[in-house]
Amino acid sequence: MEIQFSGVSKTFPPDINALENIYLNVDKGEFVYLIGETGSGKTTLMRCIFREVVPSRGHISVGGHALRKMGRFELALFRRDIGVVFQDFALLPNLTAFENVAFVLEVMGMPKKEIEGRVVDVLKTVGIWRRRALFPQQLSGGEQQRLAIARAVVNEPSLLLADEPTGNLDNHTADEIMQLLLDINAAGTTVIMATHNQYLVDSYRHRVVKLRRGRIVRDDREGGYESNVED
Amino acid sequence: MSRIKYVFRDGWRLVWRHFGMSLLTIFTAMSVFFVVGATMLFILNIQNMVRVMEGQLSIQAYVKGDAELDAVAQKAKAIANVREVKIVTKEMALERLRARLGNQANAVTLLGENPLPASIEVKVSHAADVSDTARMLIALPEVEDIVYAGQVVEKLSRVADFVQQFSLVMLIVAITASGVVLFNTIRISVYSRAEEIAVMLKVGATSTYVAFPFVIQGFILGLSGALFASAALGYAYFRAITCLKEMLPFLTFIEATRYLGKLSLVLILCGTVLSLFASLIAVEKFIRKAARPL
Repeated sequence: MEIQFSGVSKTFPPDINALENIYLNVDKGEFVYLIGETGSGKTTLMRCIFREVVPSRGHISVGGHALRKMGRFELALFRRDIGVVFQDFALLPNLTAFENVAFVLEVMGMPKKEIEGRVVDVLKTVGIWRRRALFPQQLSGGEQQRLAIARAVVNEPSLLLADEPTGNLDNHTADEIMQLLLDINAAGTTVIMATHNQYLVDSYRHRVVKLRRGRIVRDDREGGYESNVED
Repeated sequence: MSRIKYVFRDGWRLVWRHFGMSLLTIFTAMSVFFVVGATMLFILNIQNMVRVMEGQLSIQAYVKGDAELDAVAQKAKAIANVREVKIVTKEMALERLRARLGNQANAVTLLGENPLPASIEVKVSHAADVSDTARMLIALPEVEDIVYAGQVVEKLSRVADFVQQFSLVMLIVAITASGVVLFNTIRISVYSRAEEIAVMLKVGATSTYVAFPFVIQGFILGLSGALFASAALGYAYFRAITCLKEMLPFLTFIEATRYLGKLSLVLILCGTVLSLFASLIAVEKFIRKAARPL
């Protein structure tokens, strides 16, 4: 799923400029790291992609959809093709781990048997199969994060947005999660990952887009976390 | 098909997994339906009492000695609003007097030949019509005189009108208050899940898919509340009537079995529909809010 940002700015009341004049093209199947300090605009940029935030100025197109002109139903269908790992996980507190993941497939109207097969696979992959019957609040921070990842990838989306998906994890587990994201990317899914994890960005080299105070200050095709070259 | 199954399962799940809130909603629904039901029963009883009193009101029209009783009765029946006409012959009038005198019944022999006039006893449909009907009866050439409880009739007529208007106001107030209380309880229940609604929408659920389980939940809770309220109302009414009949035997209350079935049906239907719509309105509001992009 390709993404185009043309002159996108977002100002939150009263006058907080979260994004300023963003021009960004992400091709289908690309893996992009979004880096930058806290408050640099990474999360807002991702929220713009799945239309949780609409820009104050400019135009966004995702997979050929002009996001500005989207009705409620169309938006729901659009979001089904996007997996999102939210920074705060955004899990459903009254559903078990299994039910949280299954919910994404249920809204798509998938038959029960197929759902069960897919959920079992993905929970095993992220390593929380044995915790499937627990509710999110009964899981540790790391387990909740894995659950959020499982939910984001279970429907094999065309686009995966991951906001700090390894934030609470040690390097070993972060490697496992990274491998999972890379596998998904290898299958053709576009992945955009916001992170502060220098180790991962340096270890698994991909395109790096750096934001500072809502502006893109660096866009390296094969860059590491640190670079002397900034716009 | 799968989606419909999931939606129904989710509705049921909402009831069980938020049991405390469900219990609160059922209790609130039960209380408000009980109040509405009790108000309706009170109104029905008052109306029934007024109706019974109206039914007991009669005009006694004394007929001239040479007049044909059947002919007068026919003329009286032809008057609008007349419900019943009964002929009271001279002999019947004497019998009545004897019955009224009881132990002193033999005293009627002192009267010699029966001096009591024949009459017709006229009953009207509504208390308000008594005065008009009395005027029409006195206008008949065969009628010598009439006797009826004029002031009582006027008062009863005014009471009947007041009861009618008061009942309507009371019912409107009870239904409105109940609707507001129930709607707010359901809204609080939905509000406690506002964040969940937002998450559901973010992962691709349509508004309908999110709303339906809440509507089903509202249906289940409303139905349960109305069922419990009907049962409680039936029991309370039965006990109250048993007590009141002993304390106030001169009053006529409506029979529990005859009205409670219909009343329960009305409560259950109205309660379920009301809860269903309250849920729909509440959840739709939160969906609209959650779906609005920043």
